[in-house]
Parts: sequence; C-alpha cells; structure tokens
Amino acid sequence: MPASLVFSQMMSGLTTAMFLFLIASGLSLVFGVMRVINFAHGSFYMVGAYLAWQVVHWLHPIGPSFWLAALAAGLGVALLGGVIERLLLRHLYGVDELYQLLFTYALVLILGDAAKFVWGTDQLSVSAPPALAGGIQIFGTTQPLYSLFMIAIGPLIAVVGWLVLTRSGAGRLMRAAAHDREMLGALGANVGVLYTGMFVVSSFLAGLSGALVTPIQSIVPGMDVLIIVQAFIVVVIGGMGSFWGTFWGSVIYGEVLSFGILVFPSFSLFSVYALMAVILILRPWGLFGQPLR
Amino acid sequence: MNIRRLVGLAAALAALVPMGALAAGPIKIGFPIPMSGPTAVYGIPVLKGAQLAVQEINAKGGVLGRKLEILPRDSKANADEAVRLSRELIIKDNVDFLVGTLTSAEAPAVSTVAKENKIVFIAPTSKSTILTDAQHINPYIFRVSSNTDVEGLAGAILMARWKNVKTVATIAPDYAYGRDSIAAFVKNLKKLRPDIKIVDEEWPKLGQPDFTPFITAQMSKKPDAIYCSLFAGDFVTFTKEAKPLGYFKAIDNRMIDGAEVGTTDEAKALGADYPFGIISDSYDPVIFTSNEPPEHKKFIEDLKAFTKEKYASGWSIVGYQSIFALVDGIKKAGTTDSTAVAKALPGMTFDTPVGKRTFSVNSHETFAPEYWGVMVKEAAYPFAVMKNPELLPKSFPAKNSTN
Repeated sequence: MPASLVFSQMMSGLTTAMFLFLIASGLSLVFGVMRVINFAHGSFYMVGAYLAWQVVHWLHPIGPSFWLAALAAGLGVALLGGVIERLLLRHLYGVDELYQLLFTYALVLILGDAAKFVWGTDQLSVSAPPALAGGIQIFGTTQPLYSLFMIAIGPLIAVVGWLVLTRSGAGRLMRAAAHDREMLGALGANVGVLYTGMFVVSSFLAGLSGALVTPIQSIVPGMDVLIIVQAFIVVVIGGMGSFWGTFWGSVIYGEVLSFGILVFPSFSLFSVYALMAVILILRPWGLFGQPLR
Repeated sequence: MNIRRLVGLAAALAALVPMGALAAGPIKIGFPIPMSGPTAVYGIPVLKGAQLAVQEINAKGGVLGRKLEILPRDSKANADEAVRLSRELIIKDNVDFLVGTLTSAEAPAVSTVAKENKIVFIAPTSKSTILTDAQHINPYIFRVSSNTDVEGLAGAILMARWKNVKTVATIAPDYAYGRDSIAAFVKNLKKLRPDIKIVDEEWPKLGQPDFTPFITAQMSKKPDAIYCSLFAGDFVTFTKEAKPLGYFKAIDNRMIDGAEVGTTDEAKALGADYPFGIISDSYDPVIFTSNEPPEHKKFIEDLKAFTKEKYASGWSIVGYQSIFALVDGIKKAGTTDSTAVAKALPGMTFDTPVGKRTFSVNSHETFAPEYWGVMVKEAAYPFAVMKNPELLPKSFPAKNSTN
C-alpha cells in the first residue's frame, strides 16, 4: 500500500470521525450527566442545518455569511433545546427511562414534520466559506481546507469540553449530578438550572454541527434519522457517558470505515458493524465506559 | 297510449342514459407515492405531473364521458406502507386503477396487490428489472419508466465514445437499483469496449452521511473515467466532498451519472457547486438550450402554471405520461374494467411530450430512452443545464433485456 494512499485514507477517516464527534459529543454529554437518551439530538442537528441555510439565504444579497450563520444556527437550536427542556422534558426526569425515550422520539417526528412544513422537501445546499473552499497538497494528495478545519475543530471541542468538566466549578457539579442527582440537590445545588444549562450546551453543539456540515452535505428531510444511528454507534463504541470515549469512538469508527473500504470494497459498512459487535461482546459498557451499577 | 306520450317517454328515457353514466361518478385512480421523507423530493413532482394530466383531460370532458380523480396517499417510500395503502384504496375507496410508487422497493410489492385484486397498476419511476421480469410479470403491472438495463446500455454507449479511456471505476448506492445499474453498465461496456478495465467499485450505502473515505479510496486507483449511480441528496453530499478533494479534476470531469442527476431538481440543489462538465441523464431536461420539441415546450409552460414554480421539475413528466398511458388504454378498451384495460395496454403506443412510447407485449414496459448530455453553465440560469440533450439509447433490442 503506497504511503500517499495510507495518508489520504487516514485523513478521510479523520474527517468522518471529527464530523461524527461533533454531533455525538452533545449526545454523550446529555447521557453522561442527565442519563437521558436524547433521540431528538439528530433532529436538533437537522434544524441547525436548516437554520444555517436560512441565514445564508437571507444575508445572500449582502455577502457570504457562513460563520455568522453557523453561530446563529447554534444559538437558535440552543434556545429551542432550552425551551423544550424547561417546558417539557423537565417533567419526565423522575419517571421510567422508557418515557423519556418515547418523548424524544416524538420530538423526532414533530421536528421532522415541522422542518418539512417550513423548508419544504427540496434538497438545500450551502457553499463552503470562500476562505476554506480550496485545498492544499500534502504528500501528493489534495486535502480540502474545510476537512482540515473539521479535523482541527474536533479535538478543540474535546479539550474544551474536558477542561470544563474536570477543572471548572460547573464541571464539578455536572460530575456530581451524574453520580447522584438527589444528593446534589440536597446539598443545595440548583440541579434544575444545571440540567437546563447542560441541555442548552448539548443543543448548541447539535445546532453548530448541523451548520458546520452544510458545506459538505446536502440538507434534506431525513438527515436527522440517518445521523442519529451513526452517532449512537460512536457513543456505544466509546462507552455511554464517557466524553473521551466518544472522541476515540469517533476516531475508531472513521478509521475502520476508511480502511475497511480498501479491504472489503463490496461491504463498505461491514467492518464498522463487525467492530461494534466485537466491542459489545467483550466490553458491553464500551471502550471507555464503566459497567453500570 | 297516444303518440305524444310515447315520444315524451322515449325522450325522457334517452335523457336518462347519459345521466346514468354520469351517476357512476369519476374514474378513481389510487396514487400511493412518497410525500414525506427524503424521497418526497421526487414523489411530489411525480404526483404534480399526474395531477396536471388529470386537469387537462377533465377540462376536455374526461374519458368515456367520465371525469378522472386522483386519490393521493403518502407511501413514505416504504413497501409495507405502499401495500397497505393500495389495499385500502382498492377495498375502501373502490379505485378503478393504481398509478404511483417511487422506489424499486414499493413498486414490486404493489404489483402483487394489483395482481390479487385484478387492478391495473402503472409504475412511473421504478427502474429495477425485477418489476417486470419473467418471474414477476403479471397481466396488471405496467411500467412507464426506463429500466436499469436501458440505463446501463446508454451509459456504456457514452463511455465507449471516450476513445482514450482505458480504466473505469464505479460508485453506486448499495441496494437493488445501484447493483442492477452497475451490472448492466459493466456488461454493456465489456461488449462495446473490451479494452477497458474496471479498476474499482465503491458501494456506499443509500443515505451515506459522509463519502470522503470512498472518494479517496477510488482516487487512489487512478481511473481515467467514472460511472456513477448516486442520486438525490447522496449526489449533493458526494459532490460537495469530492470537489475539494480534486476528484473531478483528476478524471478531467469524465464522469457519467445514470441516476437522473441531469434534472433541474438536482442542478438547483447544487447551484454553483455542481460538477460542471460531467454527463448525466434525465427523463426531462426541462430546459432545452436548443431543438426543444414544441409539445414539450407547451407541457413545461402548463406545468409551471400548475405548480406556480419558476423552474419546473424533471420528474413530473413520468407522472404525466402514466396518466395519459392509462387514459389511452381506457379509450382503447372502451371501458374502465381493469381486466379489459390490462388486455388493451400491451403493444399499445401512446403520445408523450417527448415522443411516442410503446408498452412491450412481453414485459409491459416502454424501455424508455432518456435524455443525456454534458451539464454546463449557462449565463441565463443560476444552475447547471444539459447541453444538446440526446435521447439514448436510440433503440433497445428486447433480446438485450434480462426480462
């Protein structure tokens, strides 16, 4: 195998990985701290993509506005997430997890239809920001600048997330909430605000990732459901609730997919699912997770 | 009884006859089609085309003195749902005919319902050969669209024209349609150009969120040209990822896509990001830069007025053709009885805005050629348009068919 091929497949795998990590990180955060499996995370991602398109579309006469659109999409979805958490999800914390799952699944259907109602069924598309539209030559391969940007932003979010979780006061409360929510409340911490904040941050990440993929993907109804399955695979491989687990889960997913294609070109996704099966048999709690008590 | 009363009675009876025919109500056509989900992008324009045809026919008094009525139902591109809806349409709504379905998952499933209930079913878009092959054909299933054998032959003819191409790679979605279309392309290319080698085949799944690893793996094989069957959102994503990787530049834009990415729908979605210079196909290029058939021009004007859209969809024509095929069948049979219409359709030729089509006697399909051409930038449009659309293949020998 020539070195340039290995390099370009590795970079392809990393692009896939970081793009998945961006989405899966928010999913993992909410599960890790709140123990809520948010099926609607993919829908938040989809709404982010549509919002980004909308802002770019509105500001089109003025000029390219991709970054502004990405920020607006993140904030818009964060607001949506906050409202949903405060008004609806809040009432389901004490009850059986099945109800939360049903509720977030209902959100998938509602948001999917709402998006179709507002934006129609046409495929929409956003062009890459002009500064990142090109590519550069590395080791005889062309690397798109936008992919390099994605590869850089993934670890950045991972490090920031890790620092906040381990080094800040809020992070300490979050870890405590993950351990024992009632005890934390009894000690005087405002768990309600903490949960809302958590959900808002997770929604922001979903909206932002939805916006950031628009330059390399089409915006279509159904993108929500397609992505949530992959995000779950990544979270499961890495270990439910482990932030770094999600990061490495994404990297493993991306690289196994990328090199698996070379080995079994006719069964592109075989290697990824085989890997997931093996990991779940050997470590049902994932690579970096802990066995549930 | 005096003569005047007799005449009066006869006149009253004569007046009752057409009244009786009117009292039978409209001819009902059940139309299961995806109106939600990722494939609604195509389902809705197909339905609109059919509705336009019904509006035109009804404005001229309908057929056999009766109006037509379409009963649209959302199949969600799901075979089980399409079957359930079709049964319901037949049993509850008493539809006379079925037209519709979009994917090659739905159409064969609905075909069995049509056979059980002896109701004519016309499929406007499904391309998979299994819909009408020797094992699956029944007296009630008819297909207006092309099939993967025809598409693969046209793709191979175009590929064979590139004399200096020696190596070809393929990329297609990993399901029935993608597998069938690549198989047909490779089979025909081997006949036309035995010197060309297939150096790589990539099989991303339908709806793959990220194509990058497939693209780089394919580029590493350094093919001279590429045959592709990706479509809809998949093609948009694929293009946006492939372009910055230098994929189209490496093959000098020698890509042929046989999955209708030459439609205005696809071109509009990609806008300036379209891989200008590739060759693709469409049932209807919508915009003819030259040699537009006059019937087509009128069809597009009517369609735009009907949908109130600035640019028409390239998919509406198959819905439109399906209704006219059915109506011609009803006229030929002289009745709306499905079994009689099923007997009238095989071998029947019908007019469409892009030329005549004939249902094959054996496989009930039209082997419809499609328009193919290089997708180029035109100053008048903010998206890619097909340059000099060419109908291909010129002929399709039935012995070439796997049916």
